[in-house]
Amino acid sequence: MSDGINRRRFLKVLGVTGGGAAAISACGIGPEPTRKLIPYLVAPEGQIPGTATIYASTCRECAAGCGIHVRVREGHAVKIEGNAESPVNRGRLCARGQAALQGLYNPDRVRTPLARGADGHLAPITWDEALQRLDEQVRGASEQGIVFLTGHDTGAMDELVDEWLASIGGRRVRYEPFAYEALREGNRLAFGSADVPHYDLAAAKYVLSFGADFLDTWLDPVAFQNAFARARAFEAGRAVSPARLVYVGPRLPVTGMNADEWLAAVPGTEGKLALALAHVIARDGLAPASADAGRLADLLADHAPAAVAAETGVPAAVIERVARDFARSGAPLAVAGGMAAHYPNGAGIVAAVNVLNHVAGASGKTVRHGAALPAEAAGRYADMAELTGDLADGAVALLLVRGANPAHSLSGAFIQALDKARFVVSFATTLDETTAAADLVLPDLHPLEQWNDSRPRPGLTALQQPVMQPVFADCRAAGDVLLGLLGRPGGFRAHLEARWRERHRRAGSRESFDAFWMAALQRGGLYDGGEGAARAARLTADPAALRAALEAGIGGPVEQPMCVVFPHPVLHDGRGADKPWLQELPDPVSKIAWHAWVEVHPDTAAAWGVVSGDVVLLTSPAGAVRAPVWVTPSVRPGTVAVPTGQGHVASGRYARDRSFNAFTLLADAPTAWGGRAFAARVTVARTGDHRRLASVEGNSRPHGKGSVETLGLAAAAALGAADHPFHHEETPEYAREAAEHWADAQYRKTELGNYAGDQPRWGLAVDLTRCTGCSACVTACYAENNIATVGEELLTRGREMSWLRIERYWLTDDHGTPQGAVSSLMMCQQCGNAPCEPVCPVYAAYHTPDGLNGQVYNRCVGTRYCANNCPYKVRYFNWYNYAEVGGAWDAFPDPLHLLLNPDVTVREKGVMEKCTFCVQRIRGAQNTARLEDRTVRDGEIVPACAQTCPSEAIVFGDLNDPQSRVSVMAGDPRGYHVLAGLNTKPAVTYLARVMHADLGAPPPAEH
Amino acid sequence: MITLRQRTRVGVLWCALAAGRLLAAQAPSPATPPAAPATPFVAPVIDDTAGLAGPRQPIFFRHDIHAGQDEIPCQYCHNTVAVSSEPGMPSLQTCMGCHLIISGTTASHRAEITKVRTAWSERKAPEWLRVFWLPQFARFPHQRHIKALGQDGCTLCHGDVARMPQIAQPKESTLLMGWCIRCHVERAVSRDCTVCHY
Repeated sequence: MSDGINRRRFLKVLGVTGGGAAAISACGIGPEPTRKLIPYLVAPEGQIPGTATIYASTCRECAAGCGIHVRVREGHAVKIEGNAESPVNRGRLCARGQAALQGLYNPDRVRTPLARGADGHLAPITWDEALQRLDEQVRGASEQGIVFLTGHDTGAMDELVDEWLASIGGRRVRYEPFAYEALREGNRLAFGSADVPHYDLAAAKYVLSFGADFLDTWLDPVAFQNAFARARAFEAGRAVSPARLVYVGPRLPVTGMNADEWLAAVPGTEGKLALALAHVIARDGLAPASADAGRLADLLADHAPAAVAAETGVPAAVIERVARDFARSGAPLAVAGGMAAHYPNGAGIVAAVNVLNHVAGASGKTVRHGAALPAEAAGRYADMAELTGDLADGAVALLLVRGANPAHSLSGAFIQALDKARFVVSFATTLDETTAAADLVLPDLHPLEQWNDSRPRPGLTALQQPVMQPVFADCRAAGDVLLGLLGRPGGFRAHLEARWRERHRRAGSRESFDAFWMAALQRGGLYDGGEGAARAARLTADPAALRAALEAGIGGPVEQPMCVVFPHPVLHDGRGADKPWLQELPDPVSKIAWHAWVEVHPDTAAAWGVVSGDVVLLTSPAGAVRAPVWVTPSVRPGTVAVPTGQGHVASGRYARDRSFNAFTLLADAPTAWGGRAFAARVTVARTGDHRRLASVEGNSRPHGKGSVETLGLAAAAALGAADHPFHHEETPEYAREAAEHWADAQYRKTELGNYAGDQPRWGLAVDLTRCTGCSACVTACYAENNIATVGEELLTRGREMSWLRIERYWLTDDHGTPQGAVSSLMMCQQCGNAPCEPVCPVYAAYHTPDGLNGQVYNRCVGTRYCANNCPYKVRYFNWYNYAEVGGAWDAFPDPLHLLLNPDVTVREKGVMEKCTFCVQRIRGAQNTARLEDRTVRDGEIVPACAQTCPSEAIVFGDLNDPQSRVSVMAGDPRGYHVLAGLNTKPAVTYLARVMHADLGAPPPAEH
Repeated sequence: MITLRQRTRVGVLWCALAAGRLLAAQAPSPATPPAAPATPFVAPVIDDTAGLAGPRQPIFFRHDIHAGQDEIPCQYCHNTVAVSSEPGMPSLQTCMGCHLIISGTTASHRAEITKVRTAWSERKAPEWLRVFWLPQFARFPHQRHIKALGQDGCTLCHGDVARMPQIAQPKESTLLMGWCIRCHVERAVSRDCTVCHY
């Protein structure tokens, strides 16, 4: 180095050396290393490399049966989207459906058949050997007890299992940890038949939910969310008032978070509250009197508001008001389930709510009984208890398991009993707890890799087809195995087609079977069956039985807090725990990821002397868990709540040995109606340990900063088209001249080069009245944009990568109790006056002619000045190399890398990234339009978040086109920009949440 | 003594010359469309393949015979170039479409065609060596360029392929960003970064 080297020369030298190093590394700059092009032997027909082939199938992540479109690039699935033709989800999809890809490409999938050897370990064997052993076991066990344990299932595979069992004299047990037993039994108590009716949320004006988290985890979440969004959406000038939602329960799930009012009844008393509401309606004649309800007059008389107020904890005046509003709304709907059904008297609570529905006149209108929803096919917990008993008695010689993992959700008694089964066969795809105890593992194909059909709802047959060749060639469809056992030639596909030939013949349609079959495959199933005749349900409830059903209590000392175990929205009963996208998705209510928690009210926490993060020992009669505390006002004082889903002792790397298993706290014995009580009294003891929970929550209150805006209904309805109540924040008077001078300079720049001429300005509009905070958009963004999951430790250090985050702000009443929350999306606002653009030294962050804040990954050198300057904090830096194959931070271990979207660059360490409005979809649509000699149409470009949102809260389009939907929404009087006073001129317009009550006042105390 | 003024003049002159050379080197020279040949093109016999530019491929596929002499259009084999970003490497089935019948006239031709047939019968696709390569952070939509430049726009970037016994990257087609930008500027097409980098 010569002396006199100045700064400029130093940087130049540094740049050259840096460039040299880059050429040596694999980042792709410099002399090309040798690359091979390997052609097809025979090109697959109709598939164009570089473009996606889309297959219609059905999502099997829960029982709802949403139709999906799977985008397949070069023979592997890269994105799952909703199928617009399916009446279940209408083209929308939840986070669990988006994450199905991670089940398909799970690195810990079982890849070959396994058998337990003499040493007690599972070792690989060939299929021939495996099938031979299976055959031997079946023959040997024929007279001595064969049980096939499955999860919820309907359709061809389900019926094949039954057929096989019939042929060998075996028995079927269905097990779903959350199986709606209370719902069915409550309906039987009230109406005499155990079916699950159809709930018409779109037509409801007042929804009263007793524990049922219908927006996120109950029955048909995507369909309900979509329907409810339509009922609740505020449209200016709309004659009818948006629907109102009131939630009754001990803690707020997503549904409760979006409610207008929260009635935190004492756990277990929700049924009495329902009867009190019915009492008021019947007493005051607020709805046409029903003859059926006459028999319950005494029962209702005993439940006057004054009588139940003390027991339920809900003041009588509130009960009177809610009952009045409910009955007078014109279209009331009460739903019960979820946490209200989790107590020993859960069936009674559901029955009481059914009485309320009937008395209010909802039966036959917003609640329609007709052909059964297949929730009946989910089995009952009592059946599992019986199976445990049979296993323990040695009465089961052969147990086959598919689609169920009872060893995780049942207690140690089941695992011990499992040991006593002579032989256990599992068809699972991963070594979950039940499979890890099996003697023979015959790895099934993932639902995305195999044929099947199902009946998610009456009149609808959904088809499921393989979208790609199996990821692991040595896995085999369980249907093929069963057909082999039955001695039938041909595989499951032929079996399915034969059934559909029969269906085609019965339909008597004119077209050929091939045309019929192809059309059904393309649409994803047969959708025209109709709902079936709806019948009016007669209220046949026996008052005495109802009373008795309501009485069963949790038991245990009353001074011990009640612990409610609720299903985690995405991990659910544990099936989502092996998917890093779902683990990293912050829970919509608690914003906690990668770990379970126990919810404690601030007053209770103060009494116990614990703060968020302190680990407490919860001990119930059944078991004990160590749980970190999350102090929140969204649970009743004196009650605690824990989510399920974590605490696996087997399964893959993402699920195993993480957090605690909430099922441990639950009792073994079934309730009187065959269900399970998901609540228990617990003792709480401080352990002295503290755990930093991975949370992405910035602040739980908006603090008047303008992150979220709300409007009372009256104020919203009174807005004229020219009113813009939220625009006063922009450009204060003293800054106006400077702002105009600056704007002028910008305008002159828009005449230069690329920036001249007519360009679109891409923009987004988010309607907060529709957004529920379910976070499906976040997972869709991960899937579309190759976003890395960083794991719990990095999340606690604030290194999250999600481009889109959901911010949840509590809205509190005068007492500081949350009465719901507003959820807002925050992603790169693509500011017109972006603070991040002028500070990038290498022009990696710049403004594109079409209004995007462009981020050019290969120019970025990682100064992070842009993230520093961003007031929204929506820029994310790759602190580690999340894409390095086999590296310490590898977010895509083989074969997870197969889900990477080839249209989006995978970022390396040292590169900044952020939301791009799915620029790959914008460019793709522009390419298509250019080939077709036209311009892009409004609605043609749909970013991943907008496409998946079940509530249709996000709209994308060209702000420079006055006719586009987004322009209309951006001009809406309810519209506002976040942090508008900073003059960033964002392209994202938020529409204020319209509240029935004028909440949102600053809270009295901080938590 | 050399004055500052003289230094400056020399510097400016040098810059101008350098810039001129740079510009000349980077501008893609549009291939003059071949005039209608008086006699049809016959691909030459290649005595010494060692002198040919470009990497040696596993099968010595001659574009000058197929595209030049036999006048097979580019899109017969690279059939997705007008609809996709990928031009499409022809599948072995495409080769066998003709070479099931065509065995070759000379010994060297027969040897290469035998390789094709062997690859087909043994179900082992040939592993061609890539000649035109862009890093993964740069996206090149072939369909847009074919749309803009016409069906025979291939030669603009890939050179006179119909006269190449062995594919090589032409010296003018550096495939570096400046080369792409030069053409975009000349034709007044978008130079926006996010058109290619996302």
